[in-house]
Amino acid sequence: MAGSIPGFGFKKDPEAYSAKARSYCGGFSMLPYGIQSMLKEGHRHLSGLDEAVLKNIDACNQLSTITRTSLGPNGMNKMVINHLDKLFVTNDAATIVNELEVQHPAAKILVLAGKAQQEEIGDGANLTVSFAGELLQNAEELIRMGLHPSEIIIGYTKAINKTVEILEELVEEGSENMNVRNKDEVISRMRSSIASKQFGQEDKLCPLVAEACIQVCPKNPANFNVDNVRVAKLLGGGLHDSIVVRGMVLKTDAVGTIKRVEKAKVAVFAGGVDTTATETKGTVLIHNAEQLENYAKTEEAKVEELIKAVADSGAKVIVSGSAVGEMALHFCERYKLMVLKISSKFELRRFCRTTGAVGLLKLSQPDPDDLGYVDSVSVEELGGARVTIVKNEQGGNSVSTVVLRGSTDSILDDLERAVDDGVNSYKAMCRDSRIVPGAAATEIELARRLKEFSFKETGLDQYAIAKFAESFEMIPKTLAENAGLNAIEIISSLYAEHASGNTKVGIDLEEGVCKDISTVNIWDLYITKFFALKYAADAACTVLRVDQIIMAKPAGGPKRDPPAGMDED
Amino acid sequence: MSLKVLNPNAEVLNKSHALHMNINAAKGLQDVLKTNLGPKGTIKMLVGGAGDIKLTKDGNTLLKEMQIQSPTAIMIARTAVAQDDTSGDGTTSTVIFIGELMKQSERYIDEGMHPRVLVDGFEIAKRATLQFLEKFKTPVVMGDDPDKEILKMVARTALRTKLYEALADQLTDIVVNSVLCIRKSEEPIDLFMVEIMHMRHKFDVDTRLVEGLVLDHGSRHPDMKRRAENCYILTCNVSLEYEKSEINAGFFYSNAEQREAMVAAERRSVDERVQKIIDLKNKVCAGNDNNFVIINQKGIDPPSLDLLARAGIIALRRAKRRNMERLVLACGGEAVNSVDDLTPECLGWAGLVYEHVLGEEKYTFVENVKNPHSCTILIKGPNDHTIAQIKDAVRDGLRAVKNTIEDEAVVLGAGAFEVAARQYLVNEVKKTVQGRAQLGVEAFADALLAVPKILAENSGLDTQDVIIELTGEHDKGNVVGLNLHTGEPIDPQMEGIFDNYSVKRQIINSGPVIASQLLLVDEVIRAGRNMRKPN
Repeated sequence: MAGSIPGFGFKKDPEAYSAKARSYCGGFSMLPYGIQSMLKEGHRHLSGLDEAVLKNIDACNQLSTITRTSLGPNGMNKMVINHLDKLFVTNDAATIVNELEVQHPAAKILVLAGKAQQEEIGDGANLTVSFAGELLQNAEELIRMGLHPSEIIIGYTKAINKTVEILEELVEEGSENMNVRNKDEVISRMRSSIASKQFGQEDKLCPLVAEACIQVCPKNPANFNVDNVRVAKLLGGGLHDSIVVRGMVLKTDAVGTIKRVEKAKVAVFAGGVDTTATETKGTVLIHNAEQLENYAKTEEAKVEELIKAVADSGAKVIVSGSAVGEMALHFCERYKLMVLKISSKFELRRFCRTTGAVGLLKLSQPDPDDLGYVDSVSVEELGGARVTIVKNEQGGNSVSTVVLRGSTDSILDDLERAVDDGVNSYKAMCRDSRIVPGAAATEIELARRLKEFSFKETGLDQYAIAKFAESFEMIPKTLAENAGLNAIEIISSLYAEHASGNTKVGIDLEEGVCKDISTVNIWDLYITKFFALKYAADAACTVLRVDQIIMAKPAGGPKRDPPAGMDED
Repeated sequence: MSLKVLNPNAEVLNKSHALHMNINAAKGLQDVLKTNLGPKGTIKMLVGGAGDIKLTKDGNTLLKEMQIQSPTAIMIARTAVAQDDTSGDGTTSTVIFIGELMKQSERYIDEGMHPRVLVDGFEIAKRATLQFLEKFKTPVVMGDDPDKEILKMVARTALRTKLYEALADQLTDIVVNSVLCIRKSEEPIDLFMVEIMHMRHKFDVDTRLVEGLVLDHGSRHPDMKRRAENCYILTCNVSLEYEKSEINAGFFYSNAEQREAMVAAERRSVDERVQKIIDLKNKVCAGNDNNFVIINQKGIDPPSLDLLARAGIIALRRAKRRNMERLVLACGGEAVNSVDDLTPECLGWAGLVYEHVLGEEKYTFVENVKNPHSCTILIKGPNDHTIAQIKDAVRDGLRAVKNTIEDEAVVLGAGAFEVAARQYLVNEVKKTVQGRAQLGVEAFADALLAVPKILAENSGLDTQDVIIELTGEHDKGNVVGLNLHTGEPIDPQMEGIFDNYSVKRQIINSGPVIASQLLLVDEVIRAGRNMRKPN
């Protein structure tokens, strides 16, 4: 084995040699051999089991201990202050690991796995990071027992393949067919995801999110776009004041004096509502006072002509993508047109989707087909801010907005993350609606079956597979611990129930007992679990595969101010 | 010392110290890289200055990223990188071979032998080994219809040394098919015609071959179709946006009417160009459901996009230059630089064009093309370091396949060649050499064994046992390699383990050259400014 750990073989030599070399020729400091001497200054080189593998595992463990306590409905919140001094109070693992700015390369691999999960599914990042951490911790025990990392990798790879097989068998029968427009079905699948972020409020939040999602679900649910469910956070009130709006909520005021229009046609001009200008610089050529007067008049006439044309087409609302000229505004008022300004290109595009309008580039008379329709556009004052609510109850509307109310910014941010997770799980269930029992029932079953599988394996892999199975216990254990229950008791009774064939028994956190979860209706999405476990195993194996780390000197960026206001202890 | 008289600040190492410095550097570099060799090699993690992670087993990547400072090591690293440039693989082997040559020489030099004599022996041995390689190689007939199995074996051997087995096996097919796809008889293979795209998405095993092209941008208009079947593809390099005149021009007008007219006139020339394309579309798409796609190297401004969208045309702007070339190869048709004489013959064809959105990024797939001469390897992976790792491996795999087609020969792998060559040198060549150069031949022969030795070491096998068993079999006349799982000798031909002929030849050529140069150094002088840090 010594051969595979190059750091060891020559460790003593360089000292001896360099002493000799120095005494001979004084000054050739790069003489001693070994990798350290060949690299640029500031490089660090770690190799071998002790230096690289175990240190890496340790770092990953640190990370997963942080996220672990946030797992599940009773997970604790973390207060994270990022480099911009922004405060996050959340138990969303994706946010935590993101703002932590992890430096250690191995821990970073876990962070990347969590991020990949977040991008792929939008939920389950905590499961990924915590499970990977647990796998590595167990791998450490195996290494101390004397197994080689490569054997652990083989075992873990076998285990994850088997896990995926078992997971498929655990899918609740009949769940692959689901009506994504049925609110109850959606809620039952979304509940555990939202409950893990906002425990106790999921009964209020779930229907809101489900309603918003169902409203914008296209004919082919697979094409559901997360972007179509918007969240508007308005300070004040409480969660019970939150509503779903079929349409959009713009955080701006109307430009003109008309603040309310109902059942109206809308014209959208992406290029702005103003006099047209040439690309090349133009100069107005005026010879005398009369011409000057005439010029202003022609301008006015031109703008009036255009605005009139828009008004004649039947539109009552004009939406501009950029500036609204003073003169144009004047004529809009005269023709009783409501004027909105939406400066974000994406927001404008969403507005087009909401109303069914086609964005025109230049101010001109719109075709009847290009006009959109709204049921109502009104400026309202909510929580001290003026917002424009665009409602479109009719079909063809593909945007809906969840208006969240809360007392502080961080509560609102956290609510928004919960809604995001909910929307993402809706997307996931549109792709694959299969569900597996939640509340740790699946994990225990996986652990039990995988252990059985490990007994059948010959060779050293069986240790690794058994450890992999054991790692699943982390989830019920953490859930129980976070809820203040006796974890060991819970796990043993779970195992007992599962062994006697009740494969759907999980932890009921409210009562603190083990229950058949189909009675309390806690389901997890199969696809979320699938990706989370796969990414976690992948990350763990990647960390184990590394036996040498070569680090360059950290690039010197601008110095940050030391965080202010943090006490020493 | 004389140099000190000339320049009191200079540093000098002479005679055996210089030699030892070189030998030590070569050995040190070998130590770093040797754990990478072979399918059982371990992975190294490189952390860049900005904290970015790179995982690699590839010697070439490692040498490039490691920022080596020792002058001797740099010299060896450069040779190895040159090895990669010419033949695409074998970097690790080169470094190991050089290191081993130095190590073997050290013994003889310590016993008082002059390096020059060793170098002479190296030269003789090198020539003999190259001749032996000619005899030893397995010729492969390529012709118009290359033997896919052989290519797959070579690609698999190359890929397995870079990635884990399951993924390597999957990439093997992809790599071989893509090279065969771009191959044209009578022309050298241009690997640039294989586009390598990556998406951060799903798992590494979702990597696939797209017979067509994948562009890393999408259409720029919300109303354009996201998916279209049976498409005509117009590849063009025509500006469809208003461009300011080169001279400093200005407009003069005295009322709004005139200005409106000028605005219209400004647009007219662009609109005319767009109209010509729309006319062509209407001509070819009349009476059928076919779609029309424009891929433009230059820009298309919003008004033009709007016109095109209204005509039901999908337009992509600012495509990469190299993609223009590939598009024509993949879809047919020709790239046009002007819209004045558009004919239906300029158009290419693709069965399916669709857009895939990943977060903020958009990708456009051009698929189902008729007999493509360009294709895309679409690499997927959950994070950047996985993607980078696969990318490097694919590059090497492609080169391995290309080399095989061009060499029309392969060499038995798994250490079989090295052991055979060593036996040949010891048993036959050595006897024909007169005098002390014999020892040089012997050193060379022993150095060849480094590769099978390290292969065994990395697999956790006993090095001595393995070597003795292998040489024993070779003495009996059996050409065998090493089975890394069991440590038993195997027939590489049966297992399908083949290395590139050109890679091996390059290693044997360049290794001794560098080793000889390093051995013949008797003074290392460092002089000049900046040579020492101010302290």
